[in-house]
Amino acid sequence: MKLVVSPCNTTGPFFPREFSDGNEDLTRRDGARARGEHIILAGRVLELGAKPTWNMVLEVWQADTNGIFRHPLDPRFAEVDPGFWGWGRARTDPDGWYRFRTVLPGGDQRIPHINCAVLGIGLTRRLVTTIFFTDAPDPVFDCVPGPELRQRLIARRDPSLNADGAAGYRFDVILRGEGETPFFVD
Amino acid sequence: MKPRAAGYQYSPYGDRTQTLRQIDRYNASFTRVPASPLIPRPVTLSEQTGPIELPRRWNAGKLALSRAVENGPRAVGQLIRVSGRVTDEDGSPAAGVVMEIWQANAAGKYVHAMDDHIAPLDPNFVGQGRLVTDEDGRYEVFTVKPGAYPVLYSGWWWRPPHIHFSILGQSWMNRFITQIFFPGEPLNETDLLLNGVPSHDVRERLIFEHGDTVMGDLSYINYRRDFVLRGHRRTPELA
Ligand SMILES: [Fe+2]
Repeated sequence: MKLVVSPCNTTGPFFPREFSDGNEDLTRRDGARARGEHIILAGRVLELGAKPTWNMVLEVWQADTNGIFRHPLDPRFAEVDPGFWGWGRARTDPDGWYRFRTVLPGGDQRIPHINCAVLGIGLTRRLVTTIFFTDAPDPVFDCVPGPELRQRLIARRDPSLNADGAAGYRFDVILRGEGETPFFVD
Repeated sequence: MKPRAAGYQYSPYGDRTQTLRQIDRYNASFTRVPASPLIPRPVTLSEQTGPIELPRRWNAGKLALSRAVENGPRAVGQLIRVSGRVTDEDGSPAAGVVMEIWQANAAGKYVHAMDDHIAPLDPNFVGQGRLVTDEDGRYEVFTVKPGAYPVLYSGWWWRPPHIHFSILGQSWMNRFITQIFFPGEPLNETDLLLNGVPSHDVRERLIFEHGDTVMGDLSYINYRRDFVLRGHRRTPELA
């Protein structure tokens, strides 16, 4: 039996803030703190004309500092960091800013990366991209054609975003227009 | 929750079965949907995994929206029971996954700072919450039928009654968000989002099925909607 996937639709403007708030910090779990290098991942979500978007929702999913996913499909699942969730959600403020506290992901099969989805007004289906930290061979990063587009998927060290011992990284999401972020088929 | 078996595969969402990315007169879709084509990529372990511990993180279980607090006064509006089953493309239950639900109250007003519609809030209605699907992928929630509401900036567009659903499946690939409408509503004919689907069949899947009416200690109307999340088991290869 093969059923047909249900149709998606937009979150609209009224996605409850209570569903986002408290999920921007991936580094505390059951009283434990995440291992590894804590980072602030922050940036702005902009629409056509470099206008800020307010109330967009970002979701992220990533491996822990050792590159292990908190999921039983990962062969090393038993060794996953007990202090790290791997999943987070944030919403943009009136200037388009979002902000996560997380750890720099590890990895050996893939280079360090964070899966990112954008939801909100105007998006009937989510937009998915992947945030990287270096330009190196990777099965997903390699799909992005040309150095110019690839650079757009790299989060940049930004000391002005440092907070509470965590190093700041800046990643802007440009939904449409000049400098548009590369998004992947979903 | 049971971990999904290895060997699941995920095909890209087909445009024929999905809502259009850009819909005429839905202006934000022309300023927010990328102009460049989406880039094909392989699905690795990173995308095949996902946040399966959210039920515990959020302490989610059963949900009732027809009262703000347990045993409190009932919210104003028509009492309804919304239920259904969540499966993958093979029909296997999506058991133990979080479903987030949000909706307007009977007057068409959300409990949300961005809702500027001048309509009353109901102290006995919060209109949002989380539940977890059971072993068979089933969900149910008692709530009140939401009212229609105007999209104020548009000057004409009234949203028909609808309920928003967000499902966090077992992987990054089967995260799912939609909104489901009520059958027979006149405003359904003009709604940009409901009509932003390519075919009648797909449109029907964005509308609840009208179920049995129930009379007794609790009298209510049933509405039903099943959801099929992306993902199916890989066809076994012959040795
Ligand atoms: Fe709505």
